[in-house]
Amino acid sequence: MRWRYSDFLHVYDFERRDMFKLLVAGAMMLGLQATGLINGCIAATSSPPDAHAYFIWPADGAVIHGRRFWVRMGLRGMGVAPKGVSNPNTGHHHLLIDVPLPDFTEPIPSDRNHLHFGAGETEARIALPPGRHRLQILIGDQDHRPHLPPVYSAPITIIVQ
Amino acid sequence: MAMPVSQFQRKNGMKNVFAGLLCLVVANLAMTVTTYGAEDAIVYIGWPKTGQVLPKGRPFRVWFGLRNMGVAPKGVPFPNSGHHHLLIDTELPPLDQEIPSDRQHLHFGAGETETMLELPPGKRTLQLLMGDDRHLPHAHAIYSTKIAITVR
Repeated sequence: MRWRYSDFLHVYDFERRDMFKLLVAGAMMLGLQATGLINGCIAATSSPPDAHAYFIWPADGAVIHGRRFWVRMGLRGMGVAPKGVSNPNTGHHHLLIDVPLPDFTEPIPSDRNHLHFGAGETEARIALPPGRHRLQILIGDQDHRPHLPPVYSAPITIIVQ
Repeated sequence: MAMPVSQFQRKNGMKNVFAGLLCLVVANLAMTVTTYGAEDAIVYIGWPKTGQVLPKGRPFRVWFGLRNMGVAPKGVPFPNSGHHHLLIDTELPPLDQEIPSDRQHLHFGAGETETMLELPPGKRTLQLLMGDDRHLPHAHAIYSTKIAITVR
């Protein structure tokens, strides 16, 4: 195939005509990203008003024989989604062990006292040393931040023997 | 590579040995931290229990238990995850096809882990079946035992 001058003219024409559109689209995308960033920094993910998390098991005051046990985490009025999934009205469980509720404006810490269930787990087998322990569930959004209003369970106390 | 192979080997021999050792260590670490395979995933109906008699005209809560696996809404191809489908008064559908969506096959595509249910009086069966992001049962189909309840 032989290229003619008119072919290049056409390409050139196309670029000139659409450069403005491209610029506008780029600016819009930048703007969207900026609003997304701002949203991520300021506005928390909202949660439905009737949502609440609770312990299916263990019950408050339960005595655990043996160090390992299953924790079953219940969630009402909301769905479970793994981390990074921004579906509306979803979140994933975080199990707080022997710590008070963290700052709701910050991502939930990830350590031995704040277990993340970012794969959408609803049950976990955990091991605790003998003694009294305080457990609480806190739901985090795709970025591990608590929702607005935050969704958390009543704290329970268990005794591991 | 501008360098002759032999020279390259001589220069990087020790490095290669170390890299090999590192690979072995990493591989061993990866083996000790086993990811949950879908093979050991268990789905079950936490409540009601089989044989339970429930009063008619009153919705009851069914909670879905899932072990060694995560819940993800429909359309989310997260590894080792799926969403619940509640089968009411029906057999398991073909496991190589999309799970039907009707009054006997309830989809919980938003990642719900429990539901309120009201059933007409009579003997009823309930069973859970996990579906992936496209509502297909997994390669190792994950379903609960079928429970029988009575509504009256």
